[in-house]
Amino acid sequence: MTLAEGVQLVLFGLLAALVIGTALGVVLLSNIVYSAFLLGGVFLSISGLYVLLNAGFVAAAQILIYVGAVNVLILFGIMLVNKSQPFTPVRRGWIRLIATGGVCLGLFALLSTMILGTSWQLSTETPVGDGATVLIGMHFFSDFLLPFELASVLLLMALVGAIILARREFVPDEPPTDAISDALKLPERPRELVPAGREGSESPE
Amino acid sequence: MDFTNLASQLNAGIILPEGIVVATLLVVLVGDLIAGRASTRWTPYATMAGLSLAIVALIYQWDTATPLSFLGSFMGDDLSIVFRGIIVLSAIATVPMSIRYIEQSGTSLAEFLVIMMTATLGGMFLSGANDLVTIFVALETLSISSYLLTGYMKRDPRSNEAALKYLLIGAASSAIFLYGMSLLYGLSGGKMKLLEISQSFVAADSDAPIGIIVALVFVIAGIAFKIAAVPFHQWTPDVYEGSPTPVVAFLSVGSKTAGFALAIRLLVAVFPVVSEQWHFVFTALAILSMVLGNVVALAQTSMKRLLAYSSIAQAGFLMIGLVVGTEAGYSSMIFYLLIYLFMNLGGFTCVILFSLRTGTDQISEYSGLYQKDPLLTLCLSICLLSLGGIPPLAGFFGKLYIFWAGWQAGAYGLVLVGLVTSVISIYYYIRVVKMMVVKEPQEMSDAISNYPEVRWDLPGLRPLQVSLILAVVATSLAGILSNPLFTLANNSVSHTPLLQAAIDQQQAPKAVVPPVATIAPAVTSVAQR
Amino acid sequence: MIPLEFYLLLAAALFCIGIYGLVTSRNVIRVLMSIELLLNAVNINLMAFSNYLDPATATGQVFTVFVISIAAAEAAVGLAIVLAIYRNRDTVDMEEFNLLKW
Repeated sequence: MTLAEGVQLVLFGLLAALVIGTALGVVLLSNIVYSAFLLGGVFLSISGLYVLLNAGFVAAAQILIYVGAVNVLILFGIMLVNKSQPFTPVRRGWIRLIATGGVCLGLFALLSTMILGTSWQLSTETPVGDGATVLIGMHFFSDFLLPFELASVLLLMALVGAIILARREFVPDEPPTDAISDALKLPERPRELVPAGREGSESPE
Repeated sequence: MDFTNLASQLNAGIILPEGIVVATLLVVLVGDLIAGRASTRWTPYATMAGLSLAIVALIYQWDTATPLSFLGSFMGDDLSIVFRGIIVLSAIATVPMSIRYIEQSGTSLAEFLVIMMTATLGGMFLSGANDLVTIFVALETLSISSYLLTGYMKRDPRSNEAALKYLLIGAASSAIFLYGMSLLYGLSGGKMKLLEISQSFVAADSDAPIGIIVALVFVIAGIAFKIAAVPFHQWTPDVYEGSPTPVVAFLSVGSKTAGFALAIRLLVAVFPVVSEQWHFVFTALAILSMVLGNVVALAQTSMKRLLAYSSIAQAGFLMIGLVVGTEAGYSSMIFYLLIYLFMNLGGFTCVILFSLRTGTDQISEYSGLYQKDPLLTLCLSICLLSLGGIPPLAGFFGKLYIFWAGWQAGAYGLVLVGLVTSVISIYYYIRVVKMMVVKEPQEMSDAISNYPEVRWDLPGLRPLQVSLILAVVATSLAGILSNPLFTLANNSVSHTPLLQAAIDQQQAPKAVVPPVATIAPAVTSVAQR
Repeated sequence: MIPLEFYLLLAAALFCIGIYGLVTSRNVIRVLMSIELLLNAVNINLMAFSNYLDPATATGQVFTVFVISIAAAEAAVGLAIVLAIYRNRDTVDMEEFNLLKW
């Protein structure tokens, strides 16, 4: 990175403010669609930070995968469960909010004490910069070959499993064909169904 | 980098068992794709055959001269072989349980088997993972497949809900674990291999700095979630109650074993610098798990929830072995895991059989079962009594060994808590047994009065019967004929350089820093020989 | 050069925001988003360490790429489960998921 130091610092400040601001928006806004778009903002500003950290390849991967795949997936999810549902307020919900906020502030205080109190072993070598793309490829096919191959099995299975779970079954499954199975019932029959959402919206059995 | 050399350096033969599992997985997946619904006739047997082949391959790898493979990503030492074996065995035992269950619920069997084999694969790699990236990817493989399995009965709202809770809590805990790992990467100055990290901690030579403590806490949060130790256990009862019962059987043995393998490798290899602190934390976790698991189990009305709390308590007993950290401690833990495999899976097989025949898993519905199905009553009684630790069943010897190891290492408090809580646990196991053998017909529950005729010739029940008998025979005899298991557990500990180094260090506790500095390079040289 | 600590503090702040969202959100999809925030905080940590402590080998970047790809898989599985439960229960409110007692 050849930018002057001052420019870097300003850029960092800007991006950091964007990250924190949009992340707070994701968590605090009441409209879920705004949150989803702000999440895209978080991802984009983080990829800007990666550029500042001399990692162009990961910055591009961040945009492609997080913004292009995860964020779009979440937007699809919001559309598919499209229900403007007023959440009935929980009694004394504010106590929980304040307690959680306190715990999170405490966690942040702990982490920042740790970060500032540790002497990090800074390296003096020059960063590889854009050569990192080649290096990452080398790593994938040498010392990180095993996790790389395992990740392929994981992705295949996530694909299969997500399709199984999300697929709507149009054809009802035929009942077991053997005649004697009248004696056997479904292994798990729900004991009591609490009507969720509106009245009478019990799940089809 | 020279790629022809690389192939020979990889030492890929070490992961042959995992390779066999992957091959089986692909055969089942593609075979099901081609054959359609007719594939249910052969896929479970193909799965069992493949997994058994993996066991054979594991046996041939015992005491291999070069355990380190994939340039240090994977460690195939004897410790990992035992843990991988337990995980594969639990998967093999889960297959016959699930055939009839999945058939009756009208979902497809092949995908279930494939996802379960992926979970097995993740657990196996987790048992031998030797760098941070492999640990993370293997852990996520195990976790994501477990979420999918939990939600597999997608038309049952309880299964959905269990999957959702498991996913949210699991993803959060793995993110926390990951934050801890990123701190480890930073604190060690950019190292990924476990032993290099611990060497750089020793080289830094500071007395338990705050950074390492924070990393330790975050890492323990991730591990404790996997082994369901109190207070990271809240997901367990819900997930166990809601998910399909064969999945619960696998989670309670396979996934927990993988968690313990991760705990041993990560804590022993990376955190010798803060050894006192993590022993303290695990002592607390063990006491809390034993007390809370056993006490809350008393109040349960659902059999699956009862077994959930019982599994939390069993994790507490297992942690005693980890905490004392002597040779006997580690091998008693492995011995108990081996026995726990048989008795817990046997218990779950009985629960599945009962729910297949009656459609319920409430404890009160079990009353009078003896009148209708003496075999099931006998098997369930043996497994439950063994879990409770009644002599001469296997569980008694497992507990005896753990308590003996703990007592010898001077962990008197832990052993006393363990003894008292085991007595409590006997009460709730016996309560179920007593309920099943009531004599008076009027005390019989509705489910029992309408109990269907006992027959084993329905499709899918024959394998269930065989596995039930095998598990019960193993549970009753493993205690008396425990010598092979005992030797196996002992050898796996004494042939593992990592544990030997840790035990030597434990025996010279006062001079912590100098021995570590000499041991850690020795371990690396042994490991890379 | 920007001090390493700035990046780490930013990551810690993002992590805490993620935890806050995880605990307080009522909408399931927002909980999933909070998990993505947590993973991104970890990624910032890893990238910063990679650039400042280990610039010549870039192993931190490799780790980040793994985290990114697995986060995508996790999000896909998570949304599939959310869809399945929404079909059966017709709600995405965390407080309504109480068939199993906590």
